[in-house]
Amino acid sequence: MTLSRRGFVTGLTGTSAVWLVGAIACRDAADPAMQSHTPPADSPAPPRELRFLTPDEFAEVQAIAARIIPTDETPGAREAGCAWFIDGGLATFGKDAQPLVRDGLVTLARDVAKKHRGKRRLSELTEAEQDEMLKSIERTPLFGFLRFTTIAGMFALPKYGGNKDYIGWDLVGQERVFEFKPPFGWYDHPDNQRALLGRVL
Amino acid sequence: MPQRQAPGRTFPITEEVDFVVIGSGPAGGSVARELTRNGFNVVLLEQGRAIPPEDMEHDELGALITGRWTNDAEKQPQTFRQTPAAKAERRQYIGYAMAVGGTSFHYTANYWRFRPIDFNEFSVRGGVKGAALADWPITYDELEPYYTAVEWAIGVSGQTSDNLGEPHHSRPYPLPPLNVTGPGVLLEHGCQKLGWTSKAAPMAILSREYKGRQPCHNCGFCLAFPCEWGAKSGTNYTMVPEALRSGRCELRSQSYVRKIETNEAGRVTGVIYFDKDRNEVVQRAKAVVLCANGAESPRLLLNSKSNRFPDGLANSSGVVGKHLMFNGNPGSRGVFEHEVNAHRGPVVSRITHEHYELDPALGLWGGGGFDMRLSVPAMLTTLSMPPSEPQWGSAFKKRVKTWFTHIAEAAGHTSSLPVADNSISLDPELKDAWGLPAIRTTYKEHEQDLRLYKYFRDRSVELLKAAGATKTDEAPINDDPGFAVHLLGTCRMGNDATSSVVDKFHRTHDVRNLFIVDGSSFVTSGRGQPTLTIQALAFRAADHIAQFAKRGEI
Repeated sequence: MTLSRRGFVTGLTGTSAVWLVGAIACRDAADPAMQSHTPPADSPAPPRELRFLTPDEFAEVQAIAARIIPTDETPGAREAGCAWFIDGGLATFGKDAQPLVRDGLVTLARDVAKKHRGKRRLSELTEAEQDEMLKSIERTPLFGFLRFTTIAGMFALPKYGGNKDYIGWDLVGQERVFEFKPPFGWYDHPDNQRALLGRVL
Repeated sequence: MPQRQAPGRTFPITEEVDFVVIGSGPAGGSVARELTRNGFNVVLLEQGRAIPPEDMEHDELGALITGRWTNDAEKQPQTFRQTPAAKAERRQYIGYAMAVGGTSFHYTANYWRFRPIDFNEFSVRGGVKGAALADWPITYDELEPYYTAVEWAIGVSGQTSDNLGEPHHSRPYPLPPLNVTGPGVLLEHGCQKLGWTSKAAPMAILSREYKGRQPCHNCGFCLAFPCEWGAKSGTNYTMVPEALRSGRCELRSQSYVRKIETNEAGRVTGVIYFDKDRNEVVQRAKAVVLCANGAESPRLLLNSKSNRFPDGLANSSGVVGKHLMFNGNPGSRGVFEHEVNAHRGPVVSRITHEHYELDPALGLWGGGGFDMRLSVPAMLTTLSMPPSEPQWGSAFKKRVKTWFTHIAEAAGHTSSLPVADNSISLDPELKDAWGLPAIRTTYKEHEQDLRLYKYFRDRSVELLKAAGATKTDEAPINDDPGFAVHLLGTCRMGNDATSSVVDKFHRTHDVRNLFIVDGSSFVTSGRGQPTLTIQALAFRAADHIAQFAKRGEI
């Protein structure tokens, strides 16, 4: 028990609370004992069909996600499919957040129209205009929720709809590997242990 | 390839068995194994499922956010309040694994022993205002053989030879330490600079093949994750299969006990539970051993009230559910110049117990230790970047590319004081999906503990800086810790029937054939890693229970 459970999770209360609903069904087994101890196979990604968002809402969510984790020399939220993760989440374990997203997008459309004559959608704006708009709603529940879920969608298993081909993991250096051999990093390399500690542990 | 396990025995539902054991975690799984080894028949009831290795994905969303393997927020809602005067509100405060193996299904597997001071600190240091401190009715020396028995029964990796304040070990650890990790080297480096002692962490993870189980493959997914390799020595891989192999134990998973039944003579006659299809089943037994954890054990006692036990079963003292303790977790996080890759290898490899016992001049009760680690995988590690770092957009994306691989946490683990008002009780209104009163948690950190946590947090920053951190950020310290997984003290043991629930052999003072052993038995909290002590208490309790049964003293 440490930062994750005290600091981290607590710090996320508000946005995470709505996700803390429903356990995902697990298959029961005949017994818990020793079986074939091999890593589980990849569960396939779900089909890309909208389950809660309308196509218009989806386009807005995708535009916002793409500004939270933009595409540059490496893939971003768009390529990872974070908006698909968010749609799937809203239809299942994140049902409680449906009104927050639906109503929040209506308010956002109004804000866009107010600031940009003739426009009604964030996705119609330039990237710079989008960033400016999002900066102005940074503290709203909608943005907090979409920030949380875009990042979650970048790293959740592909079976939840995002993190396509593990590109989120690739971005930060988490590997799709069930086995490592030391040295794991720079500090535990024997040469560096010798330099730092005068011995190898 | 390991062969498939024999399913154990099946008892006809009408048969009275020797023992019903409630819970298959570090306590219950061990009690079942020990009682079957002594020739007794056991029905082992577990509310969670048996989860096979092929379902043990590295599923961070499931493990840490949506509750895939933990108690269910929808079916098992809870309430929380800080003080008895406040009205409790809906909040999931207590977290525990919902699976065969209990906590050991997904633990980090830190297997620190307690030290003599953890059992008699009240006598040595005196009391603290506002805390219900007491000595344990047993000593370290009485528990030592059982610590050793557990370490050898399940496979614990570690090193006793460095002799750095370690209490007496009658045998060394059965396995050498796990591979040192990046954070492990950083901890050693920081400790060297500060002149602090440090050592290999004792871990219930195999560093070598042991009893037919594979060693750790260094995948890094320990904390809150089940081990797909079977290298973590949880009861799901050790005690429960052994109990089943004895031919004297039946495991019934997805079995949720709603009441422990008693008769007019004040003896336990068995339990009533819901099976997975919500049918009520009565299982009669000559004795019951309750090992449901520090929240569910007192809740079940309170839910088992009857005319003869109007305040709840085994609660003539009125202390069932009281003195809830969680352990403190003060710490901080550091950024390092080079790749730490703290996500590879076991979560913990080296620890310092430099602050296990503090200078009395500090005026702080208790103490603790540190390890260095990365607690959570990429999702929560990225989500929790401090406000001083960019939070979204291009700058954020650039920053996350090196954040995950270059940080380590100095994680503190400390004592926390027993306070009578801190408790598990039944919510007067809220019910779970089975219609039973929900858990209501009342908890506020003792003022002394807040000072202790602050002291430890300051040391954690010192340790990270000495290890070379270029930047640090500190976890908040609050009198509302927010969430709890170490569930201790709620059916405390003691010699005095008016101030404790179980005696030194874990028999309830009120009911001769009812025993309780799990985190609820603790009199004080220890220094932050309770599981080995829970398991050693279970071995010791089972030893005595078996002797009582053989002598007809149950």
